[in-house]
Amino acid sequence: MQRRGFLKLLASILGLSALGAFAYPLFRFLLPVEAALVTKNLSIPKGEVPVNTTKDLMFGATPIIILDIPDKGYLAFSKVCTHLGCLVKFDKDRQEFICPCHAGTFDLEGNVVSGPPPKPLRKFAVRVEGDNLVIG
Amino acid sequence: MPRLREWLEIRIGLDELVHSQLTDYRVAKNINFFYTLGIVALVAFVFQAFTGILLMFYYIPDEKDAFQSIQFIMNHVPYGWLFRLMHVMGANLMVAVVLLHMGSVFSLGSYKKPRELTWVVGALLLLTVLGFTLSGYLLPWSQLSFWATTVVTDIPSAFPLVGGLISKILRGSENVSGVTLNRFFALHVAFFPFLFSSLFALHVFLVRRIGISAPPSDSQEPEEWKEFHHESHPDGPPFYPDFVSKEAFMVIIYLIVMFAIISMAPALFIPHDAGIAADPLNTPEHIRPEWYFLAPYEMLKLIPNRFLGIALQVVLVVVFIFWPFMDKSEKTNILKRPLMLATFLVTIMVYLGLTVWGSR
Amino acid sequence: MRSLLTVICLLCLVSVSEGAWTELLQKEFPKTPWAQRPRVERTVCIDCHDSDLMKPEYKAIPGEWRKNWHYRNGVSCQDCHGGDPKDAARSMTPQSGFLGVQKPKEIPEFCGKCHLGIKENYLESGHGKALMTTGRGPNCVLCHHSHDIQKASLEIINPKLCGICHTYDRAREMKAALLLTEAKINEINGNLQTLKAGLIDTQDEEETLFRTQAEYRTLFHSVDVTLVKARTVEFAKKLDALSQQVGKGFKELKFRQDFSTFILLIFVGLGITVFLWGRRKE
Repeated sequence: MQRRGFLKLLASILGLSALGAFAYPLFRFLLPVEAALVTKNLSIPKGEVPVNTTKDLMFGATPIIILDIPDKGYLAFSKVCTHLGCLVKFDKDRQEFICPCHAGTFDLEGNVVSGPPPKPLRKFAVRVEGDNLVIG
Repeated sequence: MPRLREWLEIRIGLDELVHSQLTDYRVAKNINFFYTLGIVALVAFVFQAFTGILLMFYYIPDEKDAFQSIQFIMNHVPYGWLFRLMHVMGANLMVAVVLLHMGSVFSLGSYKKPRELTWVVGALLLLTVLGFTLSGYLLPWSQLSFWATTVVTDIPSAFPLVGGLISKILRGSENVSGVTLNRFFALHVAFFPFLFSSLFALHVFLVRRIGISAPPSDSQEPEEWKEFHHESHPDGPPFYPDFVSKEAFMVIIYLIVMFAIISMAPALFIPHDAGIAADPLNTPEHIRPEWYFLAPYEMLKLIPNRFLGIALQVVLVVVFIFWPFMDKSEKTNILKRPLMLATFLVTIMVYLGLTVWGSR
Repeated sequence: MRSLLTVICLLCLVSVSEGAWTELLQKEFPKTPWAQRPRVERTVCIDCHDSDLMKPEYKAIPGEWRKNWHYRNGVSCQDCHGGDPKDAARSMTPQSGFLGVQKPKEIPEFCGKCHLGIKENYLESGHGKALMTTGRGPNCVLCHHSHDIQKASLEIINPKLCGICHTYDRAREMKAALLLTEAKINEINGNLQTLKAGLIDTQDEEETLFRTQAEYRTLFHSVDVTLVKARTVEFAKKLDALSQQVGKGFKELKFRQDFSTFILLIFVGLGITVFLWGRRKE
């Protein structure tokens, strides 16, 4: 009798631990995912990006490039080429982003013009707020 | 606790319910562990439904976002990896359990009169489970998902006249596309659960109404079934706690296997191509279906004429569904039926052989 | 007189347009997006070069080509040489932009159609300047070969190759600096593959590693010992930062394994308990 009672007790303890082992992950799973994952907006003075020039920055962990193009305004793209990850450079004469590794070429929309990249360049939103540019 | 019992007893007659369904409900004396597989399959389904609903909280069923949403679940949602892996392992394990359940019912002869209908409903349940796996496979929208689905939805096109139409209806477009994803998502989370639940309810009703069968024994020949009666086992052990403890044990074995795989080989059912987003312009080199489809896939490859191959498989499925009407012998003990035993073993060997061959 | 003028005009026009064509097409290859191309197995180029009518050195090309890293990545004959890979009549015409065997001075531009960064570093280097001014000097083909191009490795820097023109000591110094960084890169790469097999997302880290390795290999083409040694420190820092990311990945992997094992053990205990409890009944 004692042994059976013990087994029943053991089974209850283990059963409850199993339930607890799932309850905690379930609880964390259902909570809102941490907002820290979303990189905070970046703000820089407009003066740092004169017309027809580019500026390199870090947006969180991503190297980005900001440009001011007449007719198109301010544009911000990730510099990471979507082929294998090299950083693209902006060619002013051709008005295109060119990757030095395998000549992957992107236009001012970020779309692939030629070469091996499979996806367009990641684009970031740029807003003008007073004298500043806000990215993100 | 005793107060709650009394409260329920007055309202629903709890005691009588517990007696008739659990403690006085008796199963055959020589019942074995194979009889638990049906319940294990049910528990597996419940786990799939539960983890599936959790995944739906974060999954986005659109071709632009599907793959990325799964990466999000795996890498950024706390314990998202746990529920996703449970869902993936569970899907494969459930198919294995259902196949074992089917094999044991077959070899124990439990499909014979009066249980033919139970077998038919069970066969339809198996097909529903395969429908689940096929529709679910596309949802991650990886290279593997996309191209495996392309291959499978191409198969009906071998039928003359209606074949192409069937393929198009499955896909919702000329080729597998975002439309197919929407369609398969609806099937996976709404239609198949509904179908499975209805068929399952019918299946359990039939089992309980007719009564649990007894494994074939050496001493007795099965009684002749002339008119309806509930097959009872008055000298057998009670359902609760004897058989329930067997069922609980088998369910725990199922969970042990699932978590052994999750902790030691988490990528077992997630090969390299499953980690690359779908690219409709680029077919990977080795597209193969999941292990449970390797045998029919290999068979199709071996038969030179495409239509003949598919027609043969359709015939086999029909034979499988209506088997109790083809095997009318009253003998249930497969060990006393050498021809039947040989056929059964040969079928298993062929299935395993084709599976191994197809995996190369 | 008129007919002579016409002929001269036409000849001029043809030669100018041919040159213009060639230059235009030479600068445009590869001019379309071609992500993740499948391997090209047969072209009319390979069909002819495989035949017994070819000179031995031309017949050897398809065989060498199949060992090529470019072949494995879907880059084919016409991507470097121009010409039409599907139509034998147009496979080697100037109008279809065909470029045959290149003269030594033309080789950096030829490979540099795609390998822009390396071309720049090379042309600024002692090697590049030697080639462009004197017409003699190491070009891409000397070290990397033309058709059986292997994945770049440090073994290309060796006394036999470098010793053709000068002593090996500077190359030895650079190679030593490169070896350490290369070893670190390989270690990080191995770790990333392990994480990937454990289903941890490594996309960002893989890209960072690739561009670090690419920058660093490009750097070698400047063959400037001081520069290479100075930048090696910089690269080591970047790689250390990457190693830390990898470390985080391993922590996550270990946590997942531990957590799953913990749940597994609870179920094993439960299974044994239920089994024993069931047995007690009999």
